[in-house]
Amino acid sequence: MRTATVVEERYRNRQKIKDRFISLFIGIFALIWLFPIAWTIWSSFRPYKDVRAYGTFSWPKEMGLGNYSEAISRMELPTYLTNSIAITLPAVFLTLFLGSLIAFVVSRYSFRFNVGMLLLFTAGNLLPAQLVFIPVFKMYLEIGDLVGNRSLLYNSQWGVVLIHVAFQMGFATFVLSSYMKTIPKEISESALVDGASVFRHYFNVMLPLLRPPLASLAVLMTTWIYNDFFWALVLMKDDNKRPITSALGRLTGEFVTDYNLLAAGAMIAALPTLIVFLVLRKQFVSGLTLGSTKG
Amino acid sequence: MSEVTNGVSRRSVLKGAAIGTAGLVGGGALLSSCGGDAATGPLSFGARTVDESPTKQLKALVAAYEAKTGNTVTYNATESNAFQNNLSQYLQGTPDDAFQWMAGYRMQFFAEQGLLVDLSDVWEEIGDQYAESYKIASTGLDGKQYFIPQSWYPWGLHYRKSMIADIGMDPEDIYSWDDLMAVLEGMKGKGLIGLASADKGGWEAMGTFDILNARINGYQFHVDLLGGREKWTDDRVREVFTYWEKLLPYMNTNVLDLEWDGAMQLLLQRKAGLFFNGSWFGANFKEQSDADYEDLWIIPFPEINPEHARDTIDAPIDGFCAAANGANPDGGKDFVKFAGDMEGVQAMLDSGIPMTSANSGQDTSTYDAFQKQQLAVMGEAKYITQFLDRDTRPDFAGPVVGPALQSWFKNPKDVGSILESLQSQWDALPPL
Amino acid sequence: MASTAVGGKTRRRRAFSKKDRVTLGVFVGIPTFLHVALVWFPAVATIGLSFTYWTGIRFSDIKWAGIANYVNIIADTPAFRIALKNNTIWLLWFALIATPLGILLAYQIDRQIRGHKFYQSAYYMPVILSLAVIGIIWNFMLRPDGFINGLIGRDITNAVSFFGDDRWNLYVILTIASWRHIGYIMLLYLAGLKAIDPSLREAASIDGATEWQTFKRVIFPSMKPVNIIVVVITIIETLRAFDIIYIIYGTSAGMPILGVLVFQNIAGEGASMKGAAYAVILFVLSIGPILAYLRQQFREDVK
Repeated sequence: MRTATVVEERYRNRQKIKDRFISLFIGIFALIWLFPIAWTIWSSFRPYKDVRAYGTFSWPKEMGLGNYSEAISRMELPTYLTNSIAITLPAVFLTLFLGSLIAFVVSRYSFRFNVGMLLLFTAGNLLPAQLVFIPVFKMYLEIGDLVGNRSLLYNSQWGVVLIHVAFQMGFATFVLSSYMKTIPKEISESALVDGASVFRHYFNVMLPLLRPPLASLAVLMTTWIYNDFFWALVLMKDDNKRPITSALGRLTGEFVTDYNLLAAGAMIAALPTLIVFLVLRKQFVSGLTLGSTKG
Repeated sequence: MSEVTNGVSRRSVLKGAAIGTAGLVGGGALLSSCGGDAATGPLSFGARTVDESPTKQLKALVAAYEAKTGNTVTYNATESNAFQNNLSQYLQGTPDDAFQWMAGYRMQFFAEQGLLVDLSDVWEEIGDQYAESYKIASTGLDGKQYFIPQSWYPWGLHYRKSMIADIGMDPEDIYSWDDLMAVLEGMKGKGLIGLASADKGGWEAMGTFDILNARINGYQFHVDLLGGREKWTDDRVREVFTYWEKLLPYMNTNVLDLEWDGAMQLLLQRKAGLFFNGSWFGANFKEQSDADYEDLWIIPFPEINPEHARDTIDAPIDGFCAAANGANPDGGKDFVKFAGDMEGVQAMLDSGIPMTSANSGQDTSTYDAFQKQQLAVMGEAKYITQFLDRDTRPDFAGPVVGPALQSWFKNPKDVGSILESLQSQWDALPPL
Repeated sequence: MASTAVGGKTRRRRAFSKKDRVTLGVFVGIPTFLHVALVWFPAVATIGLSFTYWTGIRFSDIKWAGIANYVNIIADTPAFRIALKNNTIWLLWFALIATPLGILLAYQIDRQIRGHKFYQSAYYMPVILSLAVIGIIWNFMLRPDGFINGLIGRDITNAVSFFGDDRWNLYVILTIASWRHIGYIMLLYLAGLKAIDPSLREAASIDGATEWQTFKRVIFPSMKPVNIIVVVITIIETLRAFDIIYIIYGTSAGMPILGVLVFQNIAGEGASMKGAAYAVILFVLSIGPILAYLRQQFREDVK
C-alpha cells in the first residue's frame, strides 16, 4: 500500500515539475505569439519619418498618438466604422432571429422535414462563398431592375446583410436547436395545455429561455460578420459604403509608403472585435461549446 | 544618338493592334467650338486611383467642370487594382457615369459587351485636337469611338543623372546594349543594384518582356506573337529570355517581393542605378523633392538589334469612358467631352502636377525637362504599343503570362518548359 | 383527430389551428426561402454555368461548353496542378502540425496550468482579428524593410524575399495561417473538453496514469465527436483558404491555391466560366468532409 502511495507521489512530483516546464514553454510561446501584434501596435505609435530616418530598430525619438489622429482624419475611418456597424448589427440580429425560428420549429415539433431542414442549413453554411457569388451578383442586379432601383441590393448595405444572414443562419439554427433539445419537453407541453398558439409558444415560452446561447452566438456572429471582407468587396462598388475590413485593402494601396500610419488604421479597425472579445470572453467559449458538441 | 528635339515630328500611322505615334505637334491646336449643351444634371465620376498627385489633378478637372456647367459631380475614388479587378461587375451594376480607363483591347472588350457609351459624336466635335493615332486607339471593334484619351507615358529606362555621372559615364550617352552592360557593371562595382526590378503584381515584368521582344525581334513579330499568329515556342522568343537572363545578376534579389513602387524606392533612395518602368512615377519623385525630380531622366531602352534600333516603345494611353449603365449617361458623355477638350486638359495641367497630355493643344513649351525628354523618347519611336496586358487577350495576359514570367524569375533555366506551357495555354483558350 | 393509439403508445397528433399553420409556415418559410435563394440556388446555378462559355456579362452570350472548362483546367492549366499541390501541403501542414498543436494547447490549458487564463486569450487573439488586419500585421513583420529583415541585418536591397521566394513562401503563408488556425482549434477543443466528465479523469489518475497516458487513452477517445469536427474544419478551412492570399498577393498568381484560382478566373476582365469550374471542383472536394460533419452531428436524428 505504502509503496503505491510513494510511487503515486513521485509521479505527481514529476508531473508538477513537468507542468512547470510546460507552463513556462507555453508562456514563452504565448509571448512570441503576441509579438507581431505588439510590434504593430508599437510601430503605430511612432511616426514613419522617424523610422525612415533612423531605421526600424532605432530608439524612438517621438512617440505618440499622431498616427492615430492622422489615420482618423485621412482614412475616413468613422465612415467605414459606421458602415461596418450598419452591416453587422442588422445581420447579426436577423441571423439570430431567423435562425431561432427554424430551430424552434425543428426542435419543438416533430415534423418529418426536421432533419432535412437541419441538414440543408448546416451544409449550406459550409459551402465556399466563391461558389455562389456570380449568380448572387446577377440576381441582385435583376431584382434591382425589377423594382426599378439597381442599387436596391447591389452596392447597398442590405445586399451584404442578406447574404451574410443566408449563410450564417445555418450555424445559428444548429446551435439553437441543439440547445433547445436540452430544454425539457414539459415546458412546451404545459404551454400547449394552456392553449398557447405556436406564436406564443415561441415568443413567450421559448425565446426567454434562449438567452445564454443567443448571447454566445451574438458574440461569435458579430466577430465573424464584422471581420468578413469578401462580400463587401464583390457586392459593393462604392468604396465609401464598404465596411472597414474591406476598406483596409484599399488603404493598404493608398498608404503603402507610410506603414506606421497603416498600422494605426489597422489597430483602430481591430478595436471593436478586441473589445468584444476581452469583455465577453466567456460567451465566446460557451458559444463554441454548443456548436461543437451536443448537450 | 537620339535626336532630342523640342517637340516631335509626325510619324506614320500603323495599322494593327498597336497605335501609331503620339504625333504631338507643338502649338496651334484649334479649340472646337463647344455647342453650348444644355445642363445635364448631377453625375458621378469614378477615378481609378487613390494616389495623391493624380487625385489632385482629377479633382481640379472636376472642379473646373462644375464651375463651367453648374452640374454637381460626385467624385468616387477606388484603388486601381481593386478597380480593375471589379470592372466587369462595376460596369454591369451601378457604375459612375464617367470613369477612368485604359485604351486597347481592354476598352474594346467592354465596348463589345455594350457597357460603354458610344462617344463617336464627341469625337466629331473635339477630334481635331488629337492625332489620328489616338482616334485609332479610342475606337472599338465596331468602328465607333468609346474612349477619350487623357494622358500617356512611355516605358523607358530611368536613372538619376548624378548616379550615372558618379560611375564615370555620360548620362546623355547610353545607346546600345553594351552601354547598358557597362552601366550595370559600374553600378555593381559601387556595390549598388544595377537594375531595380519588381514583379510582385505579375504585370510589372511584362514591360521588360515587351521591350526586349521588340528590340530583338521587331515590332511586327511582337504584335503577331501577342495576337497568336506567332508561337511562344519560337526560337526568337527564347532569345528574349537569353538576353533577359544576362540582366538577372544585376537585379535586386527580391524581385517577386516588390511591386513597382518598391523598385522605385530603390532608385529614389539611390540604392539602384536603373529602373525600367513607365514614367508616371515622376510625380512621386517630385513629391519627394524638386532636386530629386530634376535628377531623374529617361531614355529609350537600348538598341540590341540594329535592324530594329529603338523603333518601338510601350506607351499606354489612359483616358476616360462613359458607362452605359450609369444613372446619367448623357452627363457622363458631357463630362468626358469636357475632359478631352482643351479646357479640361488645361484644368488638369493647372493643378501643378506634371502630365503628358494626349491633346495636341497642350502647350509643350511649359513642359519641364523631364516631360520634354519623355516626348523625345516617344518621338524617336516609329511604332507604339500599349503594353502586353492591353495588347492581348485579358484571359491570357493576367492569368497566364503573369504567372509564367514570375515562374521564370524563380527558375530561369526552365525557360523551355515555360514557353511550351505558354503556347499550350494559348492554344487551349476558349473561343471568344 | 385527437389521438390515435398505436400499440401501447399514444401519439397525440397536434391539431394546428389555421393561425398556427400560418405562423409555422412563416417561421419555416422565410428563413428557408432566404437560404435557398441566396445559397443553394446560386450554388446550383454556378454548377450549371461551369458547363458553359460565358464572360458573365450578357445572358444572351451563354454558350454550351460541355466539359470543356474542366478539360482545360485539368489538362492545360499548370496553375491548377500547382494549386492542388499547394492545397495538399496546406492540408498536411494543418492536419499534422497546426491542428495537433491546437489540441495539445487546449488540453494543457484545460488542465489549468499556471497562467491558463492568459494563455487562452493570447493564443485566441489572432482568431478575432480580421484577415485584412492580419495581412497588415504580417506584412509589417516580413516586408523587405520590415522587422525580420531588420533583425537579420538586411535592408531593402538584399532582403530575404519571404513572399516571393518559392523555396519558402508557402511555409511563410502556412505559418501565418497556423497563427490563426491553432487558436481556433484550441478554443473548439477547449469547449469540448469542458464537457468531459471529470470523474473520468479522476479514475485515470487514481490508476496512476501519467498525463500523456490519460490524454491518449481516456480523454482523446471520449472526444470523438469533437475530433471529427476538428478534422472536418481543418479540411474545409484548407480548401476555402483565400483571404490571406488575397491580402498579400492580390489577384496576381504569386501563390496559386484553389480558392484564389476561382476568384482570378471569375472576376476581372478575363472572366470566364473556368472560374465556375474551379468553384465546382472546390465544392466536390469539400463534399466528403461536409458529409462527414453532417453524419456526425445528425447521426442520432437520422436514425
